[in-house]
Amino acid sequence: MADPVLALGALSADWQYVFGNVDYLLGGLWVTVGLTVASLLVGFVAGLPAAVVEVYGGRYSSALVRNVGVVLRGTPIVVIIMLAYFAFGLSPAFLAATAALGFRSGAYQTQIFRGAIESVDGGQMEAARAVGLSKVQAVRHVVLPQALRRSVPGFQNEVTIVLKDTSIAFAIGLAELFTKSADLYQSIGHTTATFELIVFISALYFVLTFVTNRSLEALNNAVAIPGGNGR
Amino acid sequence: MSDEPLVRVDDLRKRYGDEEVLRGISFEMGRQDVQVLVGPSGSGKSTLLRCVNRLTEFQGGEIALDGTPVTEMDVDDLRRQVGMVFQDFNLFAHLTAKENIMLGPRRVLGKSEAAAAERALDELDRVGLSAQADSYPGELSGGQKQRVGIARALAMDPKLLLFDEPTSALDPELIGEVVEVMEDLAEGGMTMLVVTHEMGFARAAATDIMFLDQGTIVEHGPPEKLFENPEHERTAQFLERLTRLHGETR
Repeated sequence: MADPVLALGALSADWQYVFGNVDYLLGGLWVTVGLTVASLLVGFVAGLPAAVVEVYGGRYSSALVRNVGVVLRGTPIVVIIMLAYFAFGLSPAFLAATAALGFRSGAYQTQIFRGAIESVDGGQMEAARAVGLSKVQAVRHVVLPQALRRSVPGFQNEVTIVLKDTSIAFAIGLAELFTKSADLYQSIGHTTATFELIVFISALYFVLTFVTNRSLEALNNAVAIPGGNGR
Repeated sequence: MSDEPLVRVDDLRKRYGDEEVLRGISFEMGRQDVQVLVGPSGSGKSTLLRCVNRLTEFQGGEIALDGTPVTEMDVDDLRRQVGMVFQDFNLFAHLTAKENIMLGPRRVLGKSEAAAAERALDELDRVGLSAQADSYPGELSGGQKQRVGIARALAMDPKLLLFDEPTSALDPELIGEVVEVMEDLAEGGMTMLVVTHEMGFARAAATDIMFLDQGTIVEHGPPEKLFENPEHERTAQFLERLTRLHGETR
């Protein structure tokens, strides 16, 4: 095993600066992971019911959900996060970032779940109602268990998007991975390490997306219905 | 109320927009009757069936179950008493055969898991599918799926079973196994209202056959009369054609 100090010595000064601050950067990595999980959770809790309302709700409730979604999906995330932090005064920054990323993700998750719900054959809903289940029971016991399974690939996309978009919390100074790298390359005397720092944190983002993608693919296989979707 | 017919349909009218698809249908069914509905596509037979359990609403006339107009009953309560078997099976794809049958008894009748499972296995046995209890719909043949569909309806102890072209989506060689189950049910005294082209079943099991065309009853009577001695030329032609196409399949 090579002596780590000797190994570092073979690197340029800028890379030595990066590896010398790994602990500092990993601190930001955990904030990134926490922010991703919290935002996806908020998005799920908001998005799933919103999708059910959009598909099965009355004229006004589904129109309301649809329009809120259009606004959220049509606004740049940096605007949403600035509004959350500076205009609505959500504090600390982690809360503002979670709210912004969470509700924006909720708007996208609504579309994922809506598509999945609509893909479940209507005949099954009818059969459930014909057995005497109420609409709510039919949605809960027949439609959602199938729709959630079909949502996994779309959700997988959403996870990677939210994960990378947490870097926008840089705009409000939240100490996540990207902000921490910026702290380092903006320090006096270290601006030459900008490229090295960006490459390093990109690798960390890549590892995270790779691991989550593989995990969700495994989940997708684990929940697949034996025999497929044959009725 | 024992002299009351189980089903009484009186001047039933149903419109889709400007188009009247049922134009004054009246008939009665006693307990244990097997009423077969035939007619060309678009004649309104499936619509009539769906009016009975209110999967579709109607605008005029009345349908009464056991003397109570269905429009005055709680819709879920009505459907608890009236089972339905669909052309496309409509099994719940994420549930096994057994779980498909258990869902209604569990969630609608409030039965325990164990009681619902026991009943489901009984019904699977009745339709000859005990070995498939833990198979998912995607793992079953069309004929097996439809038999699960029938078992699912039976597990609710319905007063009346509706069949909406139960064999029309099946490969010809799978029709027999489903018709056999239906004939067993008819023999066992189940009251059935059946839309079908299976003339073999109609001859063997029907109490009455009703020939519908363009939303009205052309002719209504026991199978012997409609097959051997129909009043209308149209009835004779139609039944002859059906028998040629979907005659005695076994």
